[in-house]
Amino acid sequence: MVRTMPILLMDNDQPSSHSDPRRQLQMARSMCWHCQSEVTGEYFCERCVKVQPVSKETDYFTCLGFPRRLTLDVQKLEARFYELSRTFHPDFYQRKSTAEQTISLSNAAVLNTAYRTLRDPIQRAEYLLALETGSVKNIRTSPPADLFEEILELQDTLEEYRASDHGSDQGHRLRTTLLTEQEALERRKEELESQLRRLFADWDKLQDAGETTSSARAERDKILKQMRDLLSHRTYVNNIVSDLAATIA
Amino acid sequence: MAYSDKVVDHFNNPRNMGSFKKGEEGVGTGMVGAPECGDVMKLQIKVQNDTIVDAKFKTFGCGSAIASSSLATEWLKGKTIDEAQKIKNTDIVQELNLPPVKIHCSVLAEDAIKAALADYQKKADEQPADTK
Repeated sequence: MVRTMPILLMDNDQPSSHSDPRRQLQMARSMCWHCQSEVTGEYFCERCVKVQPVSKETDYFTCLGFPRRLTLDVQKLEARFYELSRTFHPDFYQRKSTAEQTISLSNAAVLNTAYRTLRDPIQRAEYLLALETGSVKNIRTSPPADLFEEILELQDTLEEYRASDHGSDQGHRLRTTLLTEQEALERRKEELESQLRRLFADWDKLQDAGETTSSARAERDKILKQMRDLLSHRTYVNNIVSDLAATIA
Repeated sequence: MAYSDKVVDHFNNPRNMGSFKKGEEGVGTGMVGAPECGDVMKLQIKVQNDTIVDAKFKTFGCGSAIASSSLATEWLKGKTIDEAQKIKNTDIVQELNLPPVKIHCSVLAEDAIKAALADYQKKADEQPADTK
């Protein structure tokens, strides 16, 4: 306690960029809950070898030891996940203290969520957006009006098809229309996803360059906004595609 | 969490579902969506002498979104433009007993009302210019 507090206060006194609250929180937790010594190891106290809780402030990328990039090696991610799962698995803590059992359980839970989120490229991007913009809702998207019209019209056709006699001529005709629409929408979804992948690469490149100029910041905001638009666009298309697939299957 | 009786009622017997004919006079259309869940809502009002005489909706989404927009159209009928502006999403939440995870559905309905009113206003403002 005594050892870490002064550092925090000094940070607060300095009006420099060091007073990032997230840094302070990480420093504050870098003290072993058990022996109060400073934790230098990643997940265990080096002195008393007790497991340490993954901080709530730790983002999923950090948790799994990956940089905040959108293109990542899923195999490496999986390997890292298994490794950490073994480290935190509650089974290995059955004979330890209650505190250690609780920590291992909550660490395992965080780890599972982190892995599930980062494994899927779309969820990964949604998560990164939330991290980078505070809340996803901070970026307002302009609703694609023509897409909405199309979706609502398609819903009408779907409704008509559901109500129709599937063996009748009308049923067949509606089914053919829906199948054509489904193919077109699948293609649209793929196109949106490939646009997203290009944006992912742009984001990674920008992060790798690590520039803090105002033009780099503007570029960053532009990428995030475009990503938000594409992701929501994709959600709408994805929803109607699954609805189509479920109805005409 | 189960849907409240009111949500189920609106879902099973949606009020004012459908849309007005294209080009019908005095109609304002609001089209909104929730990017998080992919719900799409279309809400239309028909205005005569500053009063909403009819309202219709079409919603593609979950039960709460359908109920929120169905309720919104019921409330809109008979209200003046100014009164309609005052409908808040919290009123919808209260009436339908929406759980916290479904509050965004009521927000969507409020956005749809606002968008429909704005669209009507825009069209009404353009009208005199056309007739001049």
